[in-house]
Amino acid sequence: MSAYYFKLGLRSLRRNPLLTALMVITLAVGVAASVSTLTILHMMSSDPIPQKSARLFVPLIDPDPLDNYTPGEKQDDIQITYQDAMNILKSGLGVRRTALYGVAGAVEPPRREIPPFNMGGLAPTRDFFAMFEVPFAYGQPWTEADEARGADVVVLSRQMAEKLFGDVNPVGRRLNLMGFPYTVVGVTEKWKMLPRVYLLQGGSPYSTGEEFFIPLATAVRHETQHNGGMSCSGNIGPGFAARLASDCTWITAWIEAASAGDRSEIQSWLDIYASQQRKLGRLKRNAPNRLFDVPGWMEYTGVVGKDAKLQTWLAFGFLALCLVNTIGLLLAKFSVRASEIGVRRALGASRAEIFRQFLIETVVVGLVGGVLGLLLAVGALKLIGMSGKAMANLAQMDWQMLGLTFVISVCAAVLAGLLPTWRACQVTPAIQLKSQ
Amino acid sequence: MLRMTNLSKVYRTHMIETHALRGFEIEVKEGEFVTVTGPSGSGKTSFLNIAGLLEEFSSGEYILDGVNVKGLDDNQRSRLRNEKLGFIFQGFNLIPDLNLYDNVDVPLRYRGFNATERKKRIEDALAKVGLASRMKHYPAELSGGQQQRVAIARALAGTPKLLLADEPTGNLDTAMARGVMELLEEINAAGTTILMVTHDPELAVRTTRNVHIIDGQVSDLVRKGPTLVDTSTAATA
Amino acid sequence: MEIRPIFSALMRNKTGPILVALQVALSLAILANALHIVNERRDIMGRPSGMADEHAVFRINVRTLGNETPEQQLADIKRQTEVLRSVSGVAAVAQVSQMPLSTSGSNTSLALDPRQSKESAVGSVYVSGDSLIKTFGLKLVDGRDFLAPELVDVNEATENVYPPGVIITQPLAEKLWPGASAVGKTMYFGTGPEAQPTRIIGVVENLISAHGEFNERAMHSVLIPQRAYGGGRGTLYAVRAEPAQRDRVMKEAETALRKSSALPLILDLTTTDEDRSNKYRGTVTVSWMLVTVSLLLLVVTCCGIVGMASLWVTQRRKQIGVRRALGARKIDVLRYFIVENFMITSAGVFGGVALGLALNQLLVSKLEMTRLPGGYLIAGAVVFWLLGIAASYGPAWRAASISPATATRSV
Repeated sequence: MSAYYFKLGLRSLRRNPLLTALMVITLAVGVAASVSTLTILHMMSSDPIPQKSARLFVPLIDPDPLDNYTPGEKQDDIQITYQDAMNILKSGLGVRRTALYGVAGAVEPPRREIPPFNMGGLAPTRDFFAMFEVPFAYGQPWTEADEARGADVVVLSRQMAEKLFGDVNPVGRRLNLMGFPYTVVGVTEKWKMLPRVYLLQGGSPYSTGEEFFIPLATAVRHETQHNGGMSCSGNIGPGFAARLASDCTWITAWIEAASAGDRSEIQSWLDIYASQQRKLGRLKRNAPNRLFDVPGWMEYTGVVGKDAKLQTWLAFGFLALCLVNTIGLLLAKFSVRASEIGVRRALGASRAEIFRQFLIETVVVGLVGGVLGLLLAVGALKLIGMSGKAMANLAQMDWQMLGLTFVISVCAAVLAGLLPTWRACQVTPAIQLKSQ
Repeated sequence: MLRMTNLSKVYRTHMIETHALRGFEIEVKEGEFVTVTGPSGSGKTSFLNIAGLLEEFSSGEYILDGVNVKGLDDNQRSRLRNEKLGFIFQGFNLIPDLNLYDNVDVPLRYRGFNATERKKRIEDALAKVGLASRMKHYPAELSGGQQQRVAIARALAGTPKLLLADEPTGNLDTAMARGVMELLEEINAAGTTILMVTHDPELAVRTTRNVHIIDGQVSDLVRKGPTLVDTSTAATA
Repeated sequence: MEIRPIFSALMRNKTGPILVALQVALSLAILANALHIVNERRDIMGRPSGMADEHAVFRINVRTLGNETPEQQLADIKRQTEVLRSVSGVAAVAQVSQMPLSTSGSNTSLALDPRQSKESAVGSVYVSGDSLIKTFGLKLVDGRDFLAPELVDVNEATENVYPPGVIITQPLAEKLWPGASAVGKTMYFGTGPEAQPTRIIGVVENLISAHGEFNERAMHSVLIPQRAYGGGRGTLYAVRAEPAQRDRVMKEAETALRKSSALPLILDLTTTDEDRSNKYRGTVTVSWMLVTVSLLLLVVTCCGIVGMASLWVTQRRKQIGVRRALGARKIDVLRYFIVENFMITSAGVFGGVALGLALNQLLVSKLEMTRLPGGYLIAGAVVFWLLGIAASYGPAWRAASISPATATRSV
């Protein structure tokens, strides 16, 4: 019976092409707007490392003095001091730990044809690669020995390796970076992580990733400036050494626990550590020490911009309008078929049968609207992607969103069709059969 | 009251020309109660539509209460309909979303009467048909006979000179039909001219004059006593 | 005018009118808020930088490959500044720590009194050893520009020097000393016992911050007279070209710098126009999206009104014929439908105003947007009233054309 109703539904669409076109287009446009904005929101807020996100933690310790402090207000910084980061690294907490900050440096390509240029990179400790499951195309992360002595070693991104050395394995080759010869020890595979949650300060967490990685100790040894943000309270002495000793925040630390349940253990360690530091005269604010897992961190830092949320709300508001519009159109479509319904009822159809028939018709409208809506959404995403690199990464339709398009379209159509279908069932056979 | 001379009405659709009325002649004097009979397709409805200024005619002359209808534009015809004519339809044609008061009110609003005048006329009209107590009810809550009486009240509220009725008892049972006819006869006795189209020969017998239309032409029968005297001037087809 | 009977008839058949009114309400609510946000963003993007003819200004980031000593960097700065000045078409050059709207720069906490615990304002810090007033084309409204002896060289690797005198922007002066002249007054960098005092030497009309924040902070800038070097970063130059010569000057400046240096340089040249468009790219995208959806809202609502009105005309053919038979003129029928539609639109408009305020409240609380000024709702109401009348005109005209003879036809 349902297949028969499905065919009837398709046929009825053809019968009144203008009305059908209006209904399908209205629904499709509403669905397209909602799906494209939802796709961007979905990509922005999706967990970039779901297999671990509940047991990767970011600690936040507020080192600022009492001035300018209202207890309970949100901290300005999302980074911590060098001292605190080093202490966390040494703590032995969890399975592994890392500390990192963004750097940038001039590189002199080995091929003379390419002039020197600036690269953006990261200075983490070696556990970073295992923690964030960074795939390697060639070589591997630097050794512990390299890290201990701050050796001049570098890991390149696949793209950068190809640009500098061509399509060969560059491990072992030398590269003039920031004025010193570095040895390439590894090349990372093309690796998409949206957002790049390990470093949310400075730059766009949605654009293509770092081009090179050097050990944190090496960057510090070379007094490499941060390429991100730094926040200092009070007077700091001149020079890099003073910065390391100060309470300026410019480093992020991450702790990988064995399981999500270890959170309370890590939190206690943080609190004990903080009270010890307070005895040494630091951490004057005595603010609560925070610990965030990946989803919590994304929410705290507001990675998903307000604009993305605004656009999504707006699109769904528009879909609501299209829905109300569709209700009216469906009412019109069904009301002109009152005599057909009367005849069907007279010939033995029950109310439930009429309900099923017309509901399936709305499903047909929903599916056709979904197809058109999908095409429009893909087009819209392409258009949005043209506005920038970060957007191009985000405006990608995946299978989940594709399926969601049809779900939204059919659900919207069915929702819109409930009232008209119910009305259709109320038609009494007798009255409609009279000629008047 | 009403005079048509050599009237004809032609319907043209694509390839087909239909002559609904041909060389139609009729004169109705003030105060008469005329029934119009004829088989289906004879042109009764066209005649009534033209008499009621609902349609234009193709040629001939029509004078209504001294006014030559020919040169009038749509607005003037509407005004004339509103002031001089009253309509009663077979299907009652009450507006379902308005209560009885508002239904009778419709033509009065177009007349431009003020609120007090309208109220008085509506109450009088509904009282005359015996439905004053149900002013706030809706047509769906009434029987067929009652609905027709409301339609009559609506037709009367504007104190028209000529009442046009199209099969007013067609959708009613015999008892209700008799009630409506008695009401119409009362109204005619009070001085309103009535022109009534009907299928029912029993009703045709009750009136003083019966006009018979066949194939778009008149066969006028005036009742003078129990016998029928044929006074038509044009030969029957 | 038959308002009451029209209203009663509408009440008997509520579904259709409610659907139309709901569409109008939704559209109005969303439209008012969307246009408000678009206008706000437009105002923000239109904020002047404070620079005269900003199209003529561009920046050059210079990095060397090797690690220079601070002294070498200072020599480079002096040499490169001269080289740039000698390029034909260059009106002014300044070595500077940050550029307006470039999203890269630093802020400092400012206070009126070191004993305060809370800062009085936050300023975007422009450090330059040359005249920024000249290079940026800033308008001096009080006090004076820095004198040559005040422009000192500071080695950031070894010294931490706070300037005895600074120039600030007028909005910042207004915030710190409302209604009074700021010149000669003392201001502190930071708060607490370590706060450093400085005197206000001059006030410029405006200079937008490096980060271009979406609030008043963008207008609070501080100019510090220092030629800073040895900070471990490259050097940044601001260059003003003669009007309409910018692109040529950029090419020649690049060539001149490279020629003047024995070592290879990494140069990055960006115009202020590019900085501005990059800064606001996201905002532009959102604005376009809001405008597009607003237009679609109007189109969909208009279609909805036209559709419903047409449907009612078709459904009430017989009734319209009867009215005509009873004496309604064409204009009476037209007026009936337009009045009926006006009532429905009005219900929608009132609902829309309430819904719009509620939506705005939601946006304010959840997305930190600003309050909706009443003007948008009023303007929106007028738009939808007009839209309703225009949309219903066609179907109303069709209704008026229905022949009175429809009353007597049996089907």
